[in-house]
Amino acid sequence: MNRVNKKRATDTTEQTTGSAEGTQSNPGQANPRNTRVNTAAIPLAPYEVEGGAAIPLAQRCPEKTISRRSFVAAGTGAAVLAGTGCLGLSTLHQAHAADKAAAEASQLPGPLMRHSLCGACSNQCGFTAYIVDGKLTKLVGDKANPGGAGKLCARGYGYATIASSPDRLTHPLKRNLDGSFSQITWTQAYSEISEKLMSLIDVQGAEAVALMHSLHPSVSFYGRRFMAALGSPNVYAYDPPGNLSRNSGFAQVFGADTFLADIAHARLVMFVGGDPAEAVLPATLSAMQSARKSGGRIVVVDPRLTTSAIFADEWLPINPGTELAFLLSMAHVLVRLNRYDQDFIAQHTVGFEEWAEKLSQYTPQWAEEITGIPAETISRLAGEFAEKAPASVIDSAWRGVYGCAYQNSGETGRVIALFNTLLGNWNQKGGALLYPRATFGQLDATVFPVPTATGERVGDADYPLVWEEAGSSAFAIQAAREGRISAMLFYGSNVVAECPNPDYLTEALDKLDLSVVIDVQMSETAQLAHYVLPDTSYLERLEVPEIVPGKKPTVTLRDKVLDTVYEDTRPVDEIFSELARACNVGAYFTFSVEELADAQLKTVGLDLAALQAVGSAQYEGAPFAYGSLPDIATPTGKFQFSSEACVQAGYPASPEWLPPRVMPTGDRLRLIGGEQALCASTVTIDNPDLMEVIKKYRLTYPWIHATVAQRLGIKDGDEIELTSDIHSGRTRVHVTQAINPTALYLPSYYGCSVKELKEAYNVGLRQMDFVPLHLEMGYGAAMTQEVLVTIKKVGA
Amino acid sequence: MARYGMLIDTRSCVGCYACLIACRRQNGLSPELSFIRFEHRERGSYPAVFQEVIPLQCMQCAAAPCVLVCPTEASYFGPDGLVGIDHGKCIGCKYCMVACPYQLRTFNEELGVADKCRFCAIQTLVGGKGCTCVEACLTNARVIGDLDDPNSEIVSLIESKNALPIAGDLTQANIFYVR
Repeated sequence: MNRVNKKRATDTTEQTTGSAEGTQSNPGQANPRNTRVNTAAIPLAPYEVEGGAAIPLAQRCPEKTISRRSFVAAGTGAAVLAGTGCLGLSTLHQAHAADKAAAEASQLPGPLMRHSLCGACSNQCGFTAYIVDGKLTKLVGDKANPGGAGKLCARGYGYATIASSPDRLTHPLKRNLDGSFSQITWTQAYSEISEKLMSLIDVQGAEAVALMHSLHPSVSFYGRRFMAALGSPNVYAYDPPGNLSRNSGFAQVFGADTFLADIAHARLVMFVGGDPAEAVLPATLSAMQSARKSGGRIVVVDPRLTTSAIFADEWLPINPGTELAFLLSMAHVLVRLNRYDQDFIAQHTVGFEEWAEKLSQYTPQWAEEITGIPAETISRLAGEFAEKAPASVIDSAWRGVYGCAYQNSGETGRVIALFNTLLGNWNQKGGALLYPRATFGQLDATVFPVPTATGERVGDADYPLVWEEAGSSAFAIQAAREGRISAMLFYGSNVVAECPNPDYLTEALDKLDLSVVIDVQMSETAQLAHYVLPDTSYLERLEVPEIVPGKKPTVTLRDKVLDTVYEDTRPVDEIFSELARACNVGAYFTFSVEELADAQLKTVGLDLAALQAVGSAQYEGAPFAYGSLPDIATPTGKFQFSSEACVQAGYPASPEWLPPRVMPTGDRLRLIGGEQALCASTVTIDNPDLMEVIKKYRLTYPWIHATVAQRLGIKDGDEIELTSDIHSGRTRVHVTQAINPTALYLPSYYGCSVKELKEAYNVGLRQMDFVPLHLEMGYGAAMTQEVLVTIKKVGA
Repeated sequence: MARYGMLIDTRSCVGCYACLIACRRQNGLSPELSFIRFEHRERGSYPAVFQEVIPLQCMQCAAAPCVLVCPTEASYFGPDGLVGIDHGKCIGCKYCMVACPYQLRTFNEELGVADKCRFCAIQTLVGGKGCTCVEACLTNARVIGDLDDPNSEIVSLIESKNALPIAGDLTQANIFYVR
């Protein structure tokens, strides 16, 4: 028996964190990607799980369990199993067992194991893929990956079948005049696209060209490089539910796009409009459980009872859109009672006095009227925050409600950061953590020459507060409609189905002289494109590595797990490199993705083979320590209670109450949305495994409050007609007590209108159909919940 | 001999369906086949509302009605407290599906047999952690272990959390719930 395998079978608690040469690789192998391991020797979960649950049964009760070794020592493992015909196994499993036993006895190769990153949403959890006969048979979360922390969500397990999905795009397509598509060759696609691009640039300049891309590692490098090589500054990062307002608001306070709440160590943590069990963050869920175990309190502020509220001590069903008023009055209490961190504020902030003066008007009684949360509750909670500070924190709500929902979302982001500032909890244990910035070093410019685009991105002057690394995708579409942008490339960004008012967006895209969509499947956006280029799935390509900041920075890698399934599909690095050559800027793309990844990794003391062996690896970056702050990248170098940039954009210097654009009245309810544990965005909806469960458990049904239902004569499961100013649609409804009566919750990403997506087509309603497109002043976000709807029972 | 059982802590279950989808993926099941079913309960009234999610799967009952009614002995009591289903002997009569008081048998159209959760028995035997659903659970709400071992984690958790089978001693079920 192979000694390495033997060790792995018994030592499942070994940590792989912290070293590029962790236990996942066979040290004797030069290229770990080709390492084959023995099936029977693979522990189910290669990593330790918190609480000691990972101790194998064999170790916990050795006398009771048939260990692998004794099982094999019986000599005829397969015969034993098959002969007894028991052990609770199906015949399929018996066959499987026989294979395994035979493989073990004869040292035949077992499954190939490779590390990679999930592609279902932008959290990109790390996992180990088990591959048998070229097929993905199993996924196990990688504990060393900071986002997934050893777990994957249902979407991660489900979406893994995308590689072999019959609904994939398999060849380059060109749209005909009648809207149908014809298959073309890559050569034709590159030549026609480049010709059109070059002639547009000749006439209108490179500013007329734009790229919108989803948050995958390779496109962030190759796509941006391609645009810079063409001379265009117009790159927009796109993430469906959006963190744009939040990131932009945070940046006004502390100069970075987000922070990490130190939930595991917090004595009080509040989630405002964010749910780590639906916008799934496995590491955050785990931290919530740790906090509870050590006596921390959890408060959820959300119009809907979130699923992770099972861990909460309190649910405050706030009137949707009024989170800003609630937070302002919480701040009011801290300042009125002098229960804020005066030393921190004196040393590290600007503009406190001005804000403190304004806050005097935002009493808890005032906020009760607006938010529906009792004044006593607000006072009590604010006091509790002060008492437990600095180990008390408001979470940063990834893809949460103030990501892009209301005209006060950016300002809500500002106030959340400022509330944490009042607590003085920045980089305190149990507070809000700002990790040191971590990036790869400079590459050799002779091998990787750097193109630079001058000029200002379209939209930045109109929306000066927009988070600079993202830009306003929604505005880019408006610019297309106005003719300021005439050619757009989309990489996996289904903006037409995921931004407000698809009809408007469709008109805008129709105005483009050239639109190219690179994606895995047909989408609402791709349907409108002149050219559609078939991408490989996330399982079929190596991408450039990414750094996740942390107490120590971690480098993660999406690796090629499967061979290309549809041979005419191409990975993103190839597509942009080839397109660049066709556009005569190929000089910037003279390297392979392997060479690039390896060169990037060498700047932090790693290399590609070492990272492929472990998937995620920490390195010694700028040190993080509780109690010390990184440089604050605001114009003042301090946490800013007041911002000059906000004044320039038309906001008050320090945040004030700003009501949402529209407010519910009577039977006009606010339409709120969100992703679900089974539906990250339109990316994951066309999946047979996920869709079966979505239909069975009626997850597309909107929620309304029981009193509203009673008033309108609607019962659970009834068909209703849902109407906004711009759209109307029918669906069945879920009647519940678990939602604020002024809200109607509709999961955001159903209602697919692409016939080619056979699983998802025409299932449920699409939230964005009902929402008019208006952009948030200064911040440029799409305000996805600034809409009121009425409902009536069909046939009543 | 061990007697395997499972503990499911519904107070930690966020109803995310990761166990169900992982089970399908890792066991190679078709999208029509689910070994896990969810029941949802809402209690209280606004704003004091509580939503409970209860994942259900073959309870590996010591007094399993499915075994008692099976005409071909395809369903059987295996060692280690597991209830087995031998696909080779199953004639697809669905008697077991009717008999299961929890409605946790499911028909495998592909093979024409009555199917169910197998407690991922192989993995347990080779010294792995146990079931896919246990491994996949985002909140570690599931624990598998030997109910006959007084020192096992599952036994101490059943005691400390006062976990009970979903329907008392109806079938001497080996899945214990914290609710």
